[in-house]
Amino acid sequence: MISRHPSPEWLVEYSSGSLSTAQSIATTTHIKFCSTCETMVDALAHLGGTLLQESESVPVSMRLLEHVMTSIETDFAPAEPKSELPAKVVDGIAAALPQYVRNFLPAGDLRWSFLSPSLRLATIGVGEAEFELALHRIKAGGQAPEHDHCGQEITVVLTGCFSDEEGIYQPGDFMVRDAGDIHKPIAAQNEECICLSVLAAPIKLTGFKRLLNPWLKFSPG
Amino acid sequence: MMSSIHYLHKEFRRMSSASQWDIGLESVGIRQDKTAFAELFKHFAPLLKAFLMKGGNLGPETAEELVQETMIKVWRRAPSFSRDQASATTWIYTIARNTRIDWYRKQSRQDASNLRAEDIYDEVEGASPYASLLQVRSISTITDQLLELPKEQAGVLRLMYLEGMSGQQVADALALPLGTVKSRIRLALAKLKINLGKGQLAGDAQSD
Ligand SMILES: [Zn+2]
Repeated sequence: MISRHPSPEWLVEYSSGSLSTAQSIATTTHIKFCSTCETMVDALAHLGGTLLQESESVPVSMRLLEHVMTSIETDFAPAEPKSELPAKVVDGIAAALPQYVRNFLPAGDLRWSFLSPSLRLATIGVGEAEFELALHRIKAGGQAPEHDHCGQEITVVLTGCFSDEEGIYQPGDFMVRDAGDIHKPIAAQNEECICLSVLAAPIKLTGFKRLLNPWLKFSPG
Repeated sequence: MMSSIHYLHKEFRRMSSASQWDIGLESVGIRQDKTAFAELFKHFAPLLKAFLMKGGNLGPETAEELVQETMIKVWRRAPSFSRDQASATTWIYTIARNTRIDWYRKQSRQDASNLRAEDIYDEVEGASPYASLLQVRSISTITDQLLELPKEQAGVLRLMYLEGMSGQQVADALALPLGTVKSRIRLALAKLKINLGKGQLAGDAQSD
């Protein structure tokens, strides 16, 4: 049972197109699990359409229609399939993930790095410097080290579940934690937990090789 | 159960919501109807130009290039449009928004991927029968209530949807605390009956 959803204003930013790529991917991932938010996003798209319909217009130049009509003349039939990402060959872990998330995985095996004995991370490049999309795996019964965020962190549970001081998180649950929130996630005993996460960099880091997952600070012990 | 909902939903749309643009766009998809397409163009192109100029902060020429790109996508994708599932205006809005997102991404030096907005949104805005029944019910509410919204609430929604601002950017532009912007959004959604309410969000645990 999904109990944690993006906030209404978050979904408005999603619908109006101001979220980053990584944030949008995490949001769509939640929506794939959640018919409540799916319905809301449908209604919000309609709000966007209505606002567009009611907005002021700017005349277009006369030849623009001609140009467009000429380009469609050369289209034999109006049939362009929706863009489809190439099918990916996926390793064992990836095969357990939702199809939508698999679309963004790099070709070949995921490269997992150990952050602690029970926590591993694989980053997913989506071409952004300010936000990092990644998969986290917490071993069954494992505990992620207590950590603090230098920037906002979004987590969507994909498989398994984990808990922290505030409750239990199940597949589809969507959480936002802001910088300074300290928490200590623990995976359920019987099953590994895999989450999709988005980490926001507090500052732009470019031009030098970044340390592994530099936006998480682990406290000792 | 699902089929009766689907049936009701279809009837509802046919009775109350099919506009001439829905019918025209469907005709483009089914019959490659160029006359209907030209009518759609005449109606939507000036709206799209304003949308792209404001939201993309673009000059008129670049905006027209993107209008052209958007309308060609409308032509090519029209076969996937069904007025049982969406309204033409909403459908065209999502294509224009995605075009704007992709343009921005192309401009930014950090664009290292060939991801397109449509891959990311992945048709989640296409409606499931149940979701779209609820949506159709709220369509007339949204359209009617939008004009009734207090100016400051409608203003925030316009800045976000038409000018492409985030909540934080709206707060900066209006010199308001972010919390005020968020509460205006929530009040507006409540009036438009878009927020599903605590009752429907079981264990409504917002992320903030
Ligand atoms: Zn949800």
